[in-house]
Amino acid sequence: MNQPVLSINNLSIEFETPDGLIRAVNNIACHVNSGECLGIVGESGSGKSQTFLATMGLLANNGHARGEVLFGGKNLLQLSTRELNKILGDRLSIIFQDPLTSLTPHMRIGEQMAEVLHVHRQLKGHQSQQLCLQWLDRVHIPEARQRLKQYPHELSGGMRQRVMIAMCMLCQPELLIADEPTTALDVTVQAEILDLMTELQQDLGTAIVLITHDMGVVARMCDRVHVMRSGEYIETGSTEDIFYRPKEAYTRMLLDAVPKFNLDKVDNPNVEISQDSNTILVAEDVQIHFKLNTNWFSRPMTLRAVDGISFSLNAGETLGIVGESGSGKSTLARAILRLLPKTAGTVSWLGTDLNKLDKQSMRTMRKDLQIVFQDPLASLDPARTVGFSIMEPLLVHEPSLTLSGRQDRVKAIMLKVGLDASLINRYPHELSGGQNQRVGIARAMILNPQLIICDEAVSALDVSIQAQILQLLKQLQRERGLSYIFISHDLSVVSEISHRVMVMYLGSVVELASSEKLFSNPQHPYTKQLISAVPIADPKIERSRQRIKFGTELASPLDLNARLRFLPSKRSTEPNYRPKLQERFKGHFVAEHDAIADLL
Amino acid sequence: MLRYALNRLLSTIPVLWIAVTACFFILRLAPGGPFDGERQLPQRIKDNLAAHYNLDKPIVEQYFIYVGNVLKGDLGPSFINQDFNVAEQLAIGLPYTIILGSVAFILAIAIGILAGVMGALYRNRHPDYVLGLIILTGLVIPNFLVAPILQLVFGLKLEWLPVGGWGDGSISFLVLPVVVLALPHIARISRLMRGALIEVLNSNYIRTARSKGYSSSRVIIKHALKPALMPVVSYLGPAAGFLLTGSLVVETIFGLPGIGRYFINAALNRDYGMVLGTVIFYMVLIVTLNLIVDIVYAWLDPRVRTQ
Repeated sequence: MNQPVLSINNLSIEFETPDGLIRAVNNIACHVNSGECLGIVGESGSGKSQTFLATMGLLANNGHARGEVLFGGKNLLQLSTRELNKILGDRLSIIFQDPLTSLTPHMRIGEQMAEVLHVHRQLKGHQSQQLCLQWLDRVHIPEARQRLKQYPHELSGGMRQRVMIAMCMLCQPELLIADEPTTALDVTVQAEILDLMTELQQDLGTAIVLITHDMGVVARMCDRVHVMRSGEYIETGSTEDIFYRPKEAYTRMLLDAVPKFNLDKVDNPNVEISQDSNTILVAEDVQIHFKLNTNWFSRPMTLRAVDGISFSLNAGETLGIVGESGSGKSTLARAILRLLPKTAGTVSWLGTDLNKLDKQSMRTMRKDLQIVFQDPLASLDPARTVGFSIMEPLLVHEPSLTLSGRQDRVKAIMLKVGLDASLINRYPHELSGGQNQRVGIARAMILNPQLIICDEAVSALDVSIQAQILQLLKQLQRERGLSYIFISHDLSVVSEISHRVMVMYLGSVVELASSEKLFSNPQHPYTKQLISAVPIADPKIERSRQRIKFGTELASPLDLNARLRFLPSKRSTEPNYRPKLQERFKGHFVAEHDAIADLL
Repeated sequence: MLRYALNRLLSTIPVLWIAVTACFFILRLAPGGPFDGERQLPQRIKDNLAAHYNLDKPIVEQYFIYVGNVLKGDLGPSFINQDFNVAEQLAIGLPYTIILGSVAFILAIAIGILAGVMGALYRNRHPDYVLGLIILTGLVIPNFLVAPILQLVFGLKLEWLPVGGWGDGSISFLVLPVVVLALPHIARISRLMRGALIEVLNSNYIRTARSKGYSSSRVIIKHALKPALMPVVSYLGPAAGFLLTGSLVVETIFGLPGIGRYFINAALNRDYGMVLGTVIFYMVLIVTLNLIVDIVYAWLDPRVRTQ
């Protein structure tokens, strides 16, 4: 045991750029013992991925690594390509962040897996296929034999990540590097993938390096942790030390920035809503269906993205909407603002049915209804300065303003959202992700709207930036009595900001309750499963938790059977039945489901 | 896959119909007719001619007669050349045009892809710069200028190759026209290939393949080449069209007996039958090539098939 599999000494990485030499990693040292899971934590740009890409000779062409990377008695940095290629994929493997783009799109899963065995083990035919099947089974992929014939795009993200892991494990490597392996995945899928990695670590003694920004994932998985910032390891220690006895201010900041997702939380730090506040938005039985496959030969199918959702929102209130990818939450948000046509149902704003408005009055109404999108950089016009993007709504809605009047408004709102006024003439690509999201918020705020829909508004940001943006949103709510609809796949973020939370599953609401009630006393099995899948940034609590699981992945919205996943007793009698929302406690609505004992 | 091909095949029918219709009416709207000339014909002869070629009927009726004949496979008579009908004339010129076009097409694809791959692999190094320069030259000099220069150098000065004509049909007669015809396409294809391959080589799945310890030749051939071919393939459909129009010029410059010459003469003489026949022929060819391109596309990218 405890023999280092990999040890890195004095490693520095530099990139030649048009702006000169940039040092991404500065003189770091670390080691990984066999059977151990080492965590590397840091925010984006800290150099945590580059360290291990350099180890594998995968740096971009303009990057150079110096130092010593010892693996199996050899310095990997000095090996010839041919010698390094013998080790890569065989004794040393890596899983990447984005499973959707990390498999070759035109090759079948089977071909890609067989190729590894062919190159490293000279295995072919039946023997190779058997081994592939074994590993697909081992990573819990159902119907493994059929998967071998499928192309990557036919599998979901979680399935593709499992295939990636199976491919890495084919040759039973001594070290598995996992670079943000679950960041792009839904929480329940993340939980499964992490469990799988733990299983491999325990059963085969594979050493794992886990590169992540998520302290919850670290708490669950890692034995030792390096905290990385600006190319250096600023703190190193056992997971307990890092979480319970952090020495560095930066580590403490990272820990504090993690949204506190406490199952028995008592204090609600959210802005108080006055008791007599009015209902401003009412959605009734909203349905959005898409016609798919308008091919000449096959019958068109209907995708029920949103399938009958009703809710209301009060002035000054934040309604959180959580759900996994494909649950229809973004579609719902767009339909509320009439950015997408509704198939059925009504949305009324201050008593006016938005559907009945003509284009002109709808445009006037949009002054009050704003939206902030997920990808801060992609949702700003790259050819316009951020100042212009913030100001543009004024051109439409307050055309009488003079140039200097507009400038003053822009500067005032920039100040409000914490942007330096000197940035006014910069372009989006010159700003950081957090700054761009502030621009997005400023653009939504400049018309003094009454409702802002935040569609995954903080999902692409580092935790510390995320915490700042959430603070900003709360502060604006306190000052202006704004209402928010806050959409996120991240339960801890939603729990932090919302007064009430609505849980969506395949286009329907399964549970709707106040934030404290929902998280402290979840009723619906799907909510329970979601909550239990979120890793908590506390190693003791996280490791002692029992996880609740009903089936594996999120079912497809096209699969009508999936609707009754939590009410299987109706499947035989009424296959088209839609579970109804019932008020189980005061203000706590739960969709019908079978007894949890029966579902397990 | 078969279903996809069938689906695409059906969708070409409206395209063909629209093109024939548009061509028919545009041609009739153009001033002048097949029997207008320096020498005035007596009115009776004109009337007889018009009756013979159905020109006295209302234009819509003429249109239906023409389309009906085309559907039966009859491209009708030539209005100028009495000895052969349209189909027969096309059949005479066709072999030359097809040989010229297809050899140029294959040459353009082969050399273009090769040059593109070289450019991508030696990106921003000497071989890439040299290739880039040659390619740019190929792109900017028009074929009616390249052709005489090559004729001058290789035909008259060096006397290596014949200046023009088909001769005995040996390869030496083909070299210059094929090179002139293929040159701009070599240039475009290699640019597309270079750009696409550079992009693919930076993609996540190539990083995955490299992380598996595969040699760079395996990574390029098995993982990168197929997706990088996609923009090239989608260019090949339009390229076939440009090749045909290019062949009109090249056949004229080199004095080759292909259908390009007939087409130009027919257009100048307002030979309605011949022009329409040639257009239909070109169109069927282009639509077929585009169809093949789409099918190859689906073969390259499994995602296209399921859409």
